[in-house]
Parts: sequence; C-alpha cells; structure tokens
Amino acid sequence: MSRQFSRLVFLVTAVFFALFFIWPISETLCGAFTGSDGKFTIDYIAEVFRNPLYVEGLWNSLQMGVWSTLLAALIAIPLAWMSDRFLFPGKSLLGALVLVPMIMPPFVGAIGIKQILGQQGALNALLEDMGLLDPAHPVDWLGEGRIWGVIVLNALHLYPILYLNVLAALANVDPAMEEAAENLGCTGFRKFRRITLPLIMPGIFAGGTIVFIWSFTELGVPLMFDFTRVTSVQIFYGIKDIGGNPFPFALVVVLLCATVLLYAGSKLLFGRDSHAMMAKATSQGGPRQAGLAMGLFCSGVFGLVTFLAVLPHIGVILVAFSTDWYQTILPSGWTLSHFEAALGHNLTLPSIQNSLKYAGLATILDLVLGVAIAYVVVRTRLAGRQILDAMAMLPLAVPGLVLAFGYLAMTQEGKPFAFLNPTIDPLIILVIAYSVRRLPYVVRSAAAGFQQTSVTLEEAAQNLGCPPLRTLRRITIPLIAANLLAGGLLAFSFAMLEVSDSLILAQKQQDFPITKAIYELYQLLGEGRFVASALGVWAMAFLAVTIIGTSLILGKKLGAIFRA
Amino acid sequence: MIAITIDKLVKKFGDAVALNGISLPIEPGELFFLLGPSGCGKTTLLHNIAGFYLPDEGRILFGEEDVTALPPHKRNTGMMFQSYALWPHMTVAKNVAFGLEERRVPQAEIRQRVQAALESVQMGPYAERKIAQLSGGQQQRVALARALVIRPRCVLLDEPLSNLDARLRLEMRSEIRRVCKDNGLTAIYVTHDQKEALSISDRMAVLEGGRIAQIGTPEQVYRRPKTRVVADFIGETNFLNGKIQSLDGAKALVETNEGLFEGFLGDPDWKPSAGDSVSLSIRPESWSLRSAPAPMNSVKGRIGESVYLGEVAQYRLQASAHDLKVFELNPHISARGQGQEFFAIASVDDVVVLKS
Repeated sequence: MSRQFSRLVFLVTAVFFALFFIWPISETLCGAFTGSDGKFTIDYIAEVFRNPLYVEGLWNSLQMGVWSTLLAALIAIPLAWMSDRFLFPGKSLLGALVLVPMIMPPFVGAIGIKQILGQQGALNALLEDMGLLDPAHPVDWLGEGRIWGVIVLNALHLYPILYLNVLAALANVDPAMEEAAENLGCTGFRKFRRITLPLIMPGIFAGGTIVFIWSFTELGVPLMFDFTRVTSVQIFYGIKDIGGNPFPFALVVVLLCATVLLYAGSKLLFGRDSHAMMAKATSQGGPRQAGLAMGLFCSGVFGLVTFLAVLPHIGVILVAFSTDWYQTILPSGWTLSHFEAALGHNLTLPSIQNSLKYAGLATILDLVLGVAIAYVVVRTRLAGRQILDAMAMLPLAVPGLVLAFGYLAMTQEGKPFAFLNPTIDPLIILVIAYSVRRLPYVVRSAAAGFQQTSVTLEEAAQNLGCPPLRTLRRITIPLIAANLLAGGLLAFSFAMLEVSDSLILAQKQQDFPITKAIYELYQLLGEGRFVASALGVWAMAFLAVTIIGTSLILGKKLGAIFRA
Repeated sequence: MIAITIDKLVKKFGDAVALNGISLPIEPGELFFLLGPSGCGKTTLLHNIAGFYLPDEGRILFGEEDVTALPPHKRNTGMMFQSYALWPHMTVAKNVAFGLEERRVPQAEIRQRVQAALESVQMGPYAERKIAQLSGGQQQRVALARALVIRPRCVLLDEPLSNLDARLRLEMRSEIRRVCKDNGLTAIYVTHDQKEALSISDRMAVLEGGRIAQIGTPEQVYRRPKTRVVADFIGETNFLNGKIQSLDGAKALVETNEGLFEGFLGDPDWKPSAGDSVSLSIRPESWSLRSAPAPMNSVKGRIGESVYLGEVAQYRLQASAHDLKVFELNPHISARGQGQEFFAIASVDDVVVLKS
C-alpha cells in the first residue's frame, strides 16, 4: 500500500500513544514529584517507604504477584505439556474448557469462593457433616489476611494466559532436541528439566510477565475480599481526594517502578539467553495416543483444573439462586427473586447498556487501530515499523491501575484534557482506557493473520484492478476474519469485565459499567451479595452466549478461537 | 497487442542491486521468456513490470504509455502467480469474476464472460467449486482464466508451472502458448526451467546477476551462447580451456591440450586477440564417436561410464585433461564397451568460443 498510508498509520498511532499512554503516565509522575510549592521533591516517594501502612501494602502486593504467578505456572505448565504430548479422551472439549476461566470475572468469583471457603462456608459444612471437623473450631481456609483467597483466585483466573504461551512454545520445540537427549541417555523428568524447560523459557517468561503484572496490581479481587492492606486498594481509596492528596500519585509511581524493575530483572534472569529466535521445528512430532491410564489421568487433571477454576463461579451462581446460604453445604433455599431484584435495580439495566457501549466502541477502535498497525508492521518496509510494533505491545507492561489513575490525573480541572473529565461524561476516556490496554491482543492476532496470508493473494487482486484499500476490504479482511474475530472477542470480553478502569473512571451512577455496578450492589447491606451475584451471573451468561455464538458462526471450536 | 519496452531499469534493495540497468524491447504479441538461475533478478523484473515494486531508475513503457509510476491496479496486466494466489474464500466463478467486478462490468456480461473463460480452459463444470476442492492442475487453469478474462494488455506469468507434475507441465505449456497466441497477447513468462523456455518461447532473455546476459530466439541462445553462464544454464555442455592461435572474422582457431579446435565466437561484438585464454563450449550431442581421428576438433579418449536411455546413450569420455559428456542418438551401446578408445569429433559449427 502507499507509503503515505503507512506514515499516516504511524503518525496516528504515535499521537494516540503520546496522548493516552505517555501523557497520563507523565502526569502521574509530575503529581508524585511536585511539591505543594511547585518544585521538584522526592518527599512523597520517601514517605511511602516510611509509612508502615504503605510498606505493608507493597509487601502484600508483591506477595500477591509472585505467588499468583508461581501458582499459575504450576497449573499451566503441566497442562500445556500434557496437551502437547498426548491425545486423551475428550481432549478437544477439555482443551477448550480449560481456557474458559480467562473470561470469567474473578472479582465476582470472589463472592463465590468466600461462600465456599469462608469460616461459615460450604467446605467447612461438608467436613463437619462428614465428622472431620469440630463445628466449634471452623477452619479459615482463606487465611487470616484473606491474601491466599486473592492469590488462588488470581491464579485460577490467569493460568490460561500462561497455558497458551507455553503451549505455543512447546509446539515450536523440535522433537529432535528431545530425541537427541534421550539418545544420550537423558530421559523422563530430567530431560524435561535440562532440555525442554530451557527451550520453552521464553514462552513461560512472556506469559508469566503478563500474569505477574496483572496480579501484582489486581484491584477487583482484593476489594471484594475486603483485603485493604494492598497497594492497589490503597490507591483506589486515595482517589477520592485526588485533588489535594499527593500520596496516591506516589503510590502509583512506586507501583509502576516496581513493575518495570521486576520486569527488567526477571528478563535479565530468565530471558537473557532467549532461544526464541531458533528455527522452527524441522519435523512435526505431534501428540501421540496416550495409554488408557495416562489418558484418563490427563483427562482427570484437565477436568479437575477446570472444575477448580470454575468453582468460584459455581459458587456465584448458587448464591444468585439462594434464599440463604450460611453454614450449609448447599444453599438452604432456592429463589429467582435476586434476578428480578438485579434487573429491577436502577443500577442494572443502564450498567449493562453502558458496558456494551464502552466495550463495543473500544473493540471497534482496537480493530481499526490494530489492523492498521499490524498491516504496516507485517506488510510494509516502513522504517520504524518495529517501533510501532513495540509501542502497540507496551500496554501489556503497564498495569491497568496505573493507566486508569493517569487518565484521572490528566483530566483534572485546569489540565488540557479537563474536557474529558469522567465526572462530566466518562464515555470517551473509558473507551480509550479500555481500548489501549487491549490493543496488544488485537494487534497480535491481526499480525498473525497477515503473516499466515500470502501477500500474493493481495497482489493478485491489485493486478486485476483492485486498489489497495479495497483489496484490504475484499481480500485480506475476509481471509483474516477468524483472527480478527478472535482478537476482537478477547478484547471485548476483557473490556466487559474490566475492573480497574471501570472502578476508577466511572464516577456517576448513570455511567457505571457492569463491573462497577456489581461492586456497588455488593456494598449494599442485606441482599447485596445475592443481587450482585445475580448480576454477575447475567454478565457471565451474556459473555457465554456471545462467545459460543461467535464460535458457532465461525464453525470453530472454542479453543481454536483463542489460539487464533 | 502492445509492445513492452524496459528501459535501463535499476532496482535496489538496500545495498543489494537486484536489477542493474536492464533494457528489453518486447514485440507486440510476443511470448517472451525471462530465464536465469535463482537470484538473477527475473522475478524482481516481473514484479516491476506488474507494478508491485517501483524501480529506482529507468522506465517501463506499455506501447507508448509510460507506466513506470502507475500503481499495479491501474496497469491492466493479467498476472499468473507461482502459487496461483486463488482466494480460498471465494468460489472458482467468484475468483474469475473478481477483475470484471472491479471494472464495473454489468452483471449479465460478467456471468457470460466468466463462463466463457472457464470453458476455454476446460473448467466450465467447476464454476461453483471451492478452491480447496481443486487439484493443482485445475487451480492452474482457473488462475489462467482469471488472468485472461479481464482482457489484459499483456500477460505476466511467474513460474506458473513449477508446482505441477511433469506430465501436466508438458500439457499446460502448450496450452498457455495456444491461449496467448489465440488472444494475440503480449506475454512475459518467468521460469527457471530451460525446457519450458526452449519449447514455447518466441524469444528469451537470460539474466545473470541483475544484468541481461543474452537475448535471442531459443535456437540463437542454445547454439550461440554469448557467455559461459548462458552456455552452462541453457542445456548441457562441455567446456574446454585453450588459447587463441589465430582469428578469421567470426571464426577462431584455438589450441587446447586435447588438440586444435576451430569454432565460432559466441559473442559477435567480442574482439579477442591471439594468445587470449578462452573456453570452448561443445554440446554433448554435437560429438560423434569415430575410430579414426580428424585433423581438427577431435579428442581422443576412453569410454567411462555409460547410461543407456533407449533413444539416446550418455557416455563419459575420459580424455587426457577433460572428462567429456557425449550423447549418441540411436545408440548401439554394445559396440562402446568400457575402456575402449574413440575419437570424439565436433563440426566447426558446433564449437562456440567464449570468454573464460
């Protein structure tokens, strides 16, 4: 396509990122380093480290990030290995189901998991029933600080990201590498540790980074657990007086720096000798039929992981249908009234409308930008296209909380972007916030599509008289439709269940998206958690219909969509 | 029917010069071949003519019109791609109709022309098939129909037969020539298969390192190669090294360590002088095996391995300083036992003197 077009895409993307990525971050940095007298100061940052409350929050955030990532890796790597090596009963279905937790809202799941694992929860009731537990001394499975609940929930939500990365990395390992090891006498787990693991390290690192950044700054889950001694929640509470209080700024900056440092550090540790550039597998090993015992074992593990990951959401569904659920295994009574209550509440319908509007617009913006960027990166020789590619990937490395806070900071009164202030109308800023963070997924899947589509198919159309832009519409887009749909669907699902942008940027009740509505409903006394669960179930059902519907239209299996 | 003129074309990729001042006059209605080893620039040249690359220097003319800066979709060329580039999301008929739709041809006419085009390549019954349901040969026919249905100014063929098996290739190459000639189309055909070029081209250009080594009819290029690379690339040949003893117009007398040879200079513009080192190119089928020597153009050797192929036999003749390939038509191989001594003799007309 014409050089002007590539330059235009580059320019638009650069301006977009400058305004809505660099600017909010620098606005936050300014807030953290500018004293009340307008001069540069590091007092606020220093104070963060002097205040024991903030230090504890940071420590807990770090634990949350590290343990969630390790736990997710512990789940994901064996799963990916089994899927790469074996054919087992129900593999295609289980392989798809195991990805489902990725699009389940984890902070809604928090309601369910508290119901199951809490002191008065289902598990204790079950154990008491079986006579294994003394009713006078119920076990608190979530731990005193509830931090383990947060970690488990994060890991169960995020392991699919690692799973997909590791699976892709394993598929690229030349079977001859392992055969060579076996030939030299290295087998079994030793072979996995010495040969396979180092080869797939880049994949583990890529997925692990996303999981770490995500869980390190997770806001929704600790909020629902009422676990306030963590930096993300401290920032959230600090926002109420964003105008006069510099400490939220300082906390955000510390969080951002910690992310960058940890990212760079782990890259030095794990990503240094990257083998990712190695040639693709020369021969296709392909999974082999597992024996009966191994096959059942694999199916069992996949089933168990899926069950555990979905368990919190099952809890949510039960809560939504129950009259009461206290110290019993299953709810003590059933009702549909919460769904009516949820739909009847003046928060609900507008919030569904709002979420559809925000997420829909954000997805469209992502698709337009993503296709243009991927096109320039894959199809042109524009100098600086690698920069464009790197730029589009940057949002993965910056926590959503940091960006959301930055958007709020940059739209304060007196700032150049005050006209976008979310208290007036959050539409534009929320759509931008939603789309920036999901752009990488769309760019990646579109780029994969372009790479898989031979350029001669486009040249043939131009040769027959079709101008470049119409070629894109008539030939390229239909050919990469599956990739775009997968990327768009992922972006849409993540946007629908987005927490930090929604909680921070939607400030008036009529502008609330679903996630914030659920949070607000949950805060209500009495019926709160039931109604919130009911709305959560509505949201899940809605997403399930969208995704299953699209996969039916596409005629593809669910898993294939996310593997694109 | 239009002439295509390539005028001093230069194309660089970074520091690499892919085309280094290529000039070609292609006659109206000609079936013109671009030939050469891989990396010689033939595909780059075709892509420049189609408009996918912009040349750094030089001009491309279609008839009188300068199309150098014209984007590909305005050039009205019909291109056939090596991979066929048929769109998998459209049926056979949709693929063929595409170019006509872009030209805003009325629907009724599109239907009629698509059907006619498909029938002309014997694909009429397959109009509603998906591309994936076609065999390689069928895809090739559809690609040809798609390129021709728009009535292009010229046809560009980029190794169109390289993905077919040997028998289909033979069949399709005469088919392509027939279709081009029937429609009076100027066609440029890129290939690395010399048999394709020799059998159906009107003229060909052999490219070498981004330059044109030789332009000519198949017979000119085969019988009078201008350079060693051309002689080596088109057909099989034997090279003998020697020094020029004397010159007589286009003929030269060359002293080799197999004996004295007389032959014609491959490049008529080349003016060597006595004493220059040269190579002689003598095709394997130009030799005849005799039991007595000739005064000139004669090599003594013993039969090494021999391969009997029915209509022809291929011998390796071990001479004093060379191993020669010798082909004999209608052979009696039993009379050519291994180790037997023969004289291989070539006529003056079959000896080509080349720069070494």
